[in-house]
Amino acid sequence: MSWVALSLALMAALPTADAGLPFETTVSGASEAVGAERASSEVRRAELDRRLPRSTPDALAFEPGVFIQQTAHGQASAYVRGLTGQQTVLVFDGVRLNTSTWRQGPNQYAFTLDAATLERLEVLRGGASTRFGSDALGGVIAATPLEAPVADGQVLVRPQLTLKGTTADKESGGRVSVSGTAGPVGFIGGVGLRRVGLLESAGPVRSPLDGSVALVPRLADDGRTQLGTGFNELTADGRITLRPAAAHELTVASQAYRQFDAPRTDQCAPPFARADECLTYREQFRTLTWAKWKVHLEGALEQLELTASWQRQHEVREGARPASFVLTTGRDVVDTLGGSARLRTRELALGRGVKLSLEGGVDSYFDLVDSQAFVSFTDLGAVVQQPRGQYVAGSTSLTGGLWADALLELTSRVRVRAGGRLGWASLTSPGEARSGTQPLVAGWVPLAAHAGVEWNVVGPLSLLGNVDRSFRAPNLDDLTSRQQTGPGFQFENASLRPETALTTELGVKLRFEGLSLEGWAFQTWLHDAMVKAPRDVADCPPGTAQCNASWFRYQLVNVAGASQLRGAEAVAKARLPLGFGARVTASYAWGAGPEGVPLSRVPPANGTVELSWRHEFGFTGAAALGWAGPQTRLAVADLSDARIPLGGTPGSAVVDLRASLRVSHALVSVVLENLLDSPWRAHGSSINGAGRGVMVLVSFY
Amino acid sequence: MRSLVVAVVMVVVCGCPGVGPQPTDGGADAGESTGAYCDPLPVSPENVASCQPLSTDYTPRTANSSTDGWPACISDGNVFMPIAPNISSIARVTAFQDMAALLWRQGPAPSPQDFLDARVAYAVDQGLDSRVQRREDVHYAAAPMPCSTAGIPEQFPDRCAGPSRLLPVLNDAFARGAMGDEPRTQAARIEAALVWFFYLSSLSEVSSCTTRPQDCDSSWAYYAGGTPRDQPLGLGQMIRALGPETHDRIYDATLAVRCWRNLDNETGVATDLARRDLALAQLDRALIRGVALIIRQVLTELGCSTGDVRDAQMAFLNTLAPWFDRAARERDPARADVLKVELNRPWAWELNVPAAVAALDALFPCP
Repeated sequence: MSWVALSLALMAALPTADAGLPFETTVSGASEAVGAERASSEVRRAELDRRLPRSTPDALAFEPGVFIQQTAHGQASAYVRGLTGQQTVLVFDGVRLNTSTWRQGPNQYAFTLDAATLERLEVLRGGASTRFGSDALGGVIAATPLEAPVADGQVLVRPQLTLKGTTADKESGGRVSVSGTAGPVGFIGGVGLRRVGLLESAGPVRSPLDGSVALVPRLADDGRTQLGTGFNELTADGRITLRPAAAHELTVASQAYRQFDAPRTDQCAPPFARADECLTYREQFRTLTWAKWKVHLEGALEQLELTASWQRQHEVREGARPASFVLTTGRDVVDTLGGSARLRTRELALGRGVKLSLEGGVDSYFDLVDSQAFVSFTDLGAVVQQPRGQYVAGSTSLTGGLWADALLELTSRVRVRAGGRLGWASLTSPGEARSGTQPLVAGWVPLAAHAGVEWNVVGPLSLLGNVDRSFRAPNLDDLTSRQQTGPGFQFENASLRPETALTTELGVKLRFEGLSLEGWAFQTWLHDAMVKAPRDVADCPPGTAQCNASWFRYQLVNVAGASQLRGAEAVAKARLPLGFGARVTASYAWGAGPEGVPLSRVPPANGTVELSWRHEFGFTGAAALGWAGPQTRLAVADLSDARIPLGGTPGSAVVDLRASLRVSHALVSVVLENLLDSPWRAHGSSINGAGRGVMVLVSFY
Repeated sequence: MRSLVVAVVMVVVCGCPGVGPQPTDGGADAGESTGAYCDPLPVSPENVASCQPLSTDYTPRTANSSTDGWPACISDGNVFMPIAPNISSIARVTAFQDMAALLWRQGPAPSPQDFLDARVAYAVDQGLDSRVQRREDVHYAAAPMPCSTAGIPEQFPDRCAGPSRLLPVLNDAFARGAMGDEPRTQAARIEAALVWFFYLSSLSEVSSCTTRPQDCDSSWAYYAGGTPRDQPLGLGQMIRALGPETHDRIYDATLAVRCWRNLDNETGVATDLARRDLALAQLDRALIRGVALIIRQVLTELGCSTGDVRDAQMAFLNTLAPWFDRAARERDPARADVLKVELNRPWAWELNVPAAVAALDALFPCP
């Protein structure tokens, strides 16, 4: 019995949780983070243990409407309905991780969630600012950590050792963790370490126009191994849950992610530069400490949840030009203090079968930014500090809002949900004379709202419709940053306004015994979308020789008129005889600016097919296909982006074979990845996908 | 691996991020000067009255090109019309100007801090350093791979002149200057290397303009900073001060390059390589004459400068000498031998200035 109690965290992910279907990935999330009436999906621990993703974003690669881009081997960003990075929200155990320095386009921050510590990952597709605040235009990725076990009155300790290795990038690493309980206290914690080498691809990816090899990444002499890849990683986490009384639960937790020496592949070396030039993220750190107090209430009120958090996002970038003994260093630190309160009622009977549930809350996050830049000459040991960093030291940001949601069950077949948020966002940035940086004070009170209906037409068939208005207020990166991006040098624009997304979506769900089908179609109008606009040398801010010297210069601007994203997603799951199962997904997105110009890096049509077989003795085998069509619809900025081959990214199809065996207190998982050794690249990525290889995970618990 | 583990454990335990670079002070005191510039500077008025353009030259200053053999084109108005609205090369000329003000304009010897500041300007991302590292000398056969490829500069040092020839000089001079080691001499070496860089760049951009039309703009910009004919910057400014007609002939040649591209599929890949080579030859002939004028001026100043100023002038000549030799030898090996011997002398008092000047004048009489 005691072992059962100790295994709660893992047991939560076992098949009993998914209604008898062969995958732990459920079609619609049903957690607190994501409402069932929205387009969403979920990946659970057991599935992660079988797929062996290289990162948290990679764990979403088989989810509908999600497309994983990688600017570096140690970085990955999930596109959700054609949007990513600062146009999506990343949430960890209810704590918002987005900071005010998240840049436009893909970023690396989801990579800083250790997939080994997650109980589940949920993806909400479509706007969600009512609940999640600014940035939730394309969707939300909500990660839930492994929970501390509960076993009142007992003292139990359970260690776990997990080892993992791969051949394609020679990853070696593992995690040691301990979970347990002592009276009203449950705890779980661990330390992970991995070293990842150069990633071997299946060969170069070529231009669909002329067959030329993409400028990035640079390949070793074998034509397969990608230079500018590899990294080292250390993670640590701890979580203590105290239940002093039946109605109270206090959780104090902390996690640390430390990534070292992760080259940015498209800048290691940059196109046309010497082979030994390299931009490397020497340190990509994130520390999150948070406390959560849940109170189960009496009467109409069901639960109150209070959360306080501190997050430090720290990065040190080094651009090395060894031939000239030049080292450029950028160091940015963002400290975020956050707080939120959330109150939920029980179902309130309004008569004649009508029921009402209410939920509301308030949240706010305050950022303080330090940013510095240096030029060093390694032959002299000399260091020259630059007038300012990528941001201006001392900049601040405050974002948050007050929100409320109502769920009205009109009949047993019709449910209506609606809500709104009164948001706030204010930013300050000091001036800096030598660099010609102007002081900034900006603020907005953006509004968000949504409404939706779920109609169970007949038994297995439900129709769903939602309308959502979400927003993204400009952050410090948009308003104040100066940086070299993939397409060119980007400099600040202090006059940006919030962008808003109006999304309508229609969904259909069909559920039969052993078979479920779900399809969604969406249309998003992005108003005042912030996009990169080419700029002339004369527009460069003072003191930015780098801007003048770059081939291309950009500034973010609000586009007049509405940009559009539209698309569809479908997922089907079937439980077949003899333990077989199947899951198929397909996604399509199309994006264009007001004048019909394609939006940057919108993913191509893509999908997955998974066939599995499960034996009751604990063996699972699966074959998985991930495919993507070609993407030749390119934005202006894409044309000068070395990450995209000339004319676009060719289509691809990659087959994996998986097997896992769970016996007694051990788990062994093996994945033969890219069985056919197909060269492939996710559109917009700097790296090519892994070539044929083996991944192995062994876990003892 | 062990050190990594120790480091990361420390970081996690301490909760403290890595300590970043700490600024250093290069030292603001100007170097002690032991010499003086000529006062007044010797002036050698340019006399090229006997020089005539070749029949194949483009001559926009003469009746708007109506008397030469070139078809009508965009340059006939005697004004350079850029292909692209932005020319990033101009920023590198601006950096050169900034470095000149710090390091080799007349005045006190530059301080270690001046060298650091100049090196920061040189090392700007996408700036001079980035282009020095990839600059090729189009007078030599192309290497099988770009000079940015590992190992190629070492195998093809003549073609990969930037990384093989210029970069070592620049690295060494910046480092020694920042340590206060013969600051005027180090400044002169930097100046000489960059003069040669701009000479090579103006030519190599013509070559790459065959497939990248906007590189013709860069060729023009590398010479004179993207300025009108009478307001040149950078190399153009130096040459115009010594030989106005040579400067004009160079400017004519940049217009010839632009004319060729205007006539030859301006937005696509060029195919009229014969006309390109005519323009390139016109530019090279005039440009090398311009560099010769700079060398000539330094030679003539050796007679009246003293101390570290004169040492710096010798360093300038010594730096340029091996690179300049190819052009001289192509014209007259005997005179090239004379010039080589004189320009490579270690001490000014050994140098036969009249002989060197005579060889220069004979080798490069006309732009």
